[in-house]
Amino acid sequence: MIRLEKVCSGIGSIDILHDIDLAVTPGELVVVLGANGAGKTTLLRTISGLVEVRGGSIKFDGRTNKGATAHELARSGLVHVPQGRQIIPALTVEENLAIGAENLSGLGRDEIARRMDAEYERFPVLKMRRHILGGSLSGGEQQMLAVSRGLMMGPKLLMLDEPSLGLAPQALQRILAALGELARTGMAVLMVEQKTSALQIADRAYVLKNGAIVHHAPAADLRNDADVFRHYMN
Amino acid sequence: MSTANFIQLFLSGLTMGALYALTAKGLFIAHLATTRMNFGQGEFLMIAAYLSMTLLLVGVPVILVAVLVIAVLALMGWGLERIALRPLDRLKSLVGGQYSWVLTTMGVALIMQNVATLVWGKSSQYSPPLFSASRDNVIKIMGVGVFVEELLVIAAAFLVVGLFYVFLFLTTHGRAIRAIAFNRETAALLGIDVTRTTVLVFVIASVLAAISGILVGPIVTVQPHMGLVFTVKALAVASLGGFANPLGVLAGAIIFGMAESFSNYFNSAFGDLYPLLVVLALLVVKPSGLFGEAKADVR
Repeated sequence: MIRLEKVCSGIGSIDILHDIDLAVTPGELVVVLGANGAGKTTLLRTISGLVEVRGGSIKFDGRTNKGATAHELARSGLVHVPQGRQIIPALTVEENLAIGAENLSGLGRDEIARRMDAEYERFPVLKMRRHILGGSLSGGEQQMLAVSRGLMMGPKLLMLDEPSLGLAPQALQRILAALGELARTGMAVLMVEQKTSALQIADRAYVLKNGAIVHHAPAADLRNDADVFRHYMN
Repeated sequence: MSTANFIQLFLSGLTMGALYALTAKGLFIAHLATTRMNFGQGEFLMIAAYLSMTLLLVGVPVILVAVLVIAVLALMGWGLERIALRPLDRLKSLVGGQYSWVLTTMGVALIMQNVATLVWGKSSQYSPPLFSASRDNVIKIMGVGVFVEELLVIAAAFLVVGLFYVFLFLTTHGRAIRAIAFNRETAALLGIDVTRTTVLVFVIASVLAAISGILVGPIVTVQPHMGLVFTVKALAVASLGGFANPLGVLAGAIIFGMAESFSNYFNSAFGDLYPLLVVLALLVVKPSGLFGEAKADVR
């Protein structure tokens, strides 16, 4: 679904990512682990078109990303749930859910309502809160809303930036379970994380250090090999 | 003061308040979505007033005048964004660059003033009435003579303010504007075309200036330097709304219009001074603007 070959990128005069090779196929859940400042967020921002690619190539859904703007990529099914969830505080839960989907051309009201019902089924708490402002939700509820808002756009690739950040263990389990379920239905899921909790549902894992991929293995191997993991993270 | 005086002053306060609300909404929406605004908002209004006056004088029907003036001003709003704002955004990393829009929009305002002087001359002119047969068409309400024109201007202005709310709160484009106000990158990730939405915001601001310009023509005298006064007053009104709360902007505009109308009655020599003092006093008491804290911001 997504394939990065020798991707380099950076912000201003600073180069952050170096020769990144990474791929996620449909139905696969891939986690990129890395410490603070390893370049995880920049990696997702580069894929979603917010940060300019300086070298190498990114192919999404068989087409090159070159020249595509962030909103065009988002509309074509490359959905990025940013760090900190970025729920629009002055819109209600329902408006937040719809705001991505209503920018897709050819998506009727009925289809938006149908998708919304599906999200309410996935996270019933959102249905209970649907008329209150997004800013008044708890962290876990906001993360559920952020995931649902992305799913409303019908992603082919769903990318999440540290969904575990600031979440209670229970809320995190709910979200990880939902993501695992999505991958089983054929969606490509790519998440970046500092914590290892995502390894329990992931198929494969990459370790990112100083802007480069330093290790790549099936998630099961990393789960069982805490030493290797600690070595790369420190 | 007699009751008749009071009602007349009240209505003319409401009329000007409604027009200030329209002008201030233009500043408000631009600032909300882009943290920039058009310091020539008043000059855009002035151009609209002149265009509307000229078309009315040659006998073009009012509806057609409105359509034409709104179309021209929409085009001007688009041009302003393309010429005076967007090129600077590419250079904003330069020191002080993020404020260069103040100079460029003011520069455009100066150009407008001079173009208007060249085309229409320096002297003040009167625009023909929009809705009634003559300027002094009066009806009796509770035994008090009231200008029909004023009543209809109030109605039209509040209708537009109402439509503005519907647009901002109940349409896809309105939600897109509130999304880019929150965070431009997040908006882009939600599939919102941030560049186009920014253009839309300046087009809307200019259309609001167009509508206030058309409505204000028959009420005040039209002259090339009328714009700055409107910009200053609209800025004061938008500050009363804290630049964040559309209801606060409306309330601020009505307070301002009323203060102006009544102070002109008591002291016409310094009539313009008192409403600004009222704004200062209110901002001292509530620096975040009316309803700034009580009600959720659009951001």
